[in-house]
Amino acid sequence: MSEIINFNISEIIPTREEILREQGVSQGIEVKEKINKLILKALDIFKSKAQPVGILSEISIKGFEEVFIGEGKNAKDTPLENIFPQADYLALFALTISKKVSETISKFFKENDFAIGSLLDSIATLASYKGTKVIEKYFQKSIQKKHLTKQETTVLSYSPGYCGWHISGQKKLFQFLRPEKIGLSLNASFLMTPLKSVSGIIVYGKKEIHIFQDNYPFCLECKTHSCRARMKKLINQ
Amino acid sequence: MDIILQKISEYLQKGDEEKVFELTKQAIGHNFDTKEILDNGLIAGMNIIGEQFKKHEIFLPDVLMAAKAMYAGMDQLKPLLIKDGIQGMGKIVLGTVHGDLHDIGKNLVGIMLKGAGFEVIDLGRDVPAEKFVDTALNEQVKVIGLSALLTTTMSVMKEVISILKVKDTTNSIKTIVGGAPLSKDYAKEIGADAYAYDSANAVESVKELIGVN
Ligand code: B1M
Repeated sequence: MSEIINFNISEIIPTREEILREQGVSQGIEVKEKINKLILKALDIFKSKAQPVGILSEISIKGFEEVFIGEGKNAKDTPLENIFPQADYLALFALTISKKVSETISKFFKENDFAIGSLLDSIATLASYKGTKVIEKYFQKSIQKKHLTKQETTVLSYSPGYCGWHISGQKKLFQFLRPEKIGLSLNASFLMTPLKSVSGIIVYGKKEIHIFQDNYPFCLECKTHSCRARMKKLINQ
Repeated sequence: MDIILQKISEYLQKGDEEKVFELTKQAIGHNFDTKEILDNGLIAGMNIIGEQFKKHEIFLPDVLMAAKAMYAGMDQLKPLLIKDGIQGMGKIVLGTVHGDLHDIGKNLVGIMLKGAGFEVIDLGRDVPAEKFVDTALNEQVKVIGLSALLTTTMSVMKEVISILKVKDTTNSIKTIVGGAPLSKDYAKEIGADAYAYDSANAVESVKELIGVN
């Protein structure tokens, strides 16, 4: 059974510092007053256009095995295939920030208002990441309530298109989760519309299961290595 | 260089579109040569911005505010450029390939190219391979710029290059590719003429492709 989650915009609003970093401005560097004003304007526009909504559905390890296999295009060896069988609970999720935000970004670019368009784009990207964290926490709380678990557990999500889980995995994920209910659609390249959307699996379990060496063949092509920061955060938790 | 053109360049660098609009109008009113206003005012300012951005002395919002100011000036110059038959740096067809809706990166590349004086025919996103080639042929364009952010859409770039080969136009129409999952090696593998890591490099590469500097 899937559950629709409407979250508050205040939960996903990024800070000025986060927005500047997303724009490539290093920490501690002061920007022109005009840019600070544009950030405030972009935040106001975001608040008026965003309609963040998510969908969550618990899935068994067996059930997820099938989703994970997807179209049979995953890398030969992946970290997730070792992680999810060790999970206590799993849930598929998808979330979107809203079509209106994407349309507004395009409109600004068309009207040559590039700076505000780009700031709004960064805000929506950061809000997507924050939205994922909100859904993770929501799942953690609901499991703890349902199963009265108080053990040292953590939640972390993984997405098709990352770490050897082929992006075509979106197809099976969509078949199981049906995120069309929150207005998401998938194209033939496995891209979701609206653009500012995230999908994946939330893994609830002991934090040790998430620790791996990022020396898989596909890690050589990875430009972000975001797994390192994720693992570091977990270890320091 | 005349003071008014210098001022256009300076206010453009500050991202003051109203001042750039006003000064460009004044320069036209004072019968300045259209090409001079373009080269020594608007493009000169954008070139400085591009260099500063490359050296990380300024940031993306600064570049984008300057670009808006440049367009404010360009809007007034455009009819005169057409009337006088003045050619810019050259034309480029740009777009995000079929199946892909990511266009922020492509837009940034387009802004930087226009800033450098190129005429950019932006086909938008989700563009079929044939449309790139047909537009390039109809508009007598020398460079096609292709952007893709997904591994599943990168293959459309190869399709564009194959069509160019079939039409025997790879000598007259060059291709440049870019986007997160791409690499120099992949560009070489599919037969693209250039790969650019970011928008500043894209301008350099396009200039090299058409032999201007
Ligand atoms: C013509 O010549 C040229 C020359 C240079 C050219 C050029 C053309 N085109 C671009 N360039 C170059 O110049 C530009 C300016 O400097 C640059 O353009 P970019 O477009 O690259 O840069 C932009 C200005 C800023 N960059 C971006 O906007 C993309 C950055 C990364 C980190 C990224 C982000 C931020 C996001 N994402 Co996602 N995302 C990634 C990206 C990884 C990365 N390292 O880039 C990528 C693209 N995403 C990926 C994935 C998988 C996904 N994302 C998703 C979601 C998201 C967010 C919403 C969280 C967010 C915003 C997305 C958006 N674009 O609006 C999902 C899909 C969303 C959807 N609608 O379907 C999802 C499917 C994950 C999921 N299951 O939820 C990966 C694709 C992998 C693949 N197999 O194809 C990915 C490469 C990350 C990864 N795994 O490393 C250069 O590339």
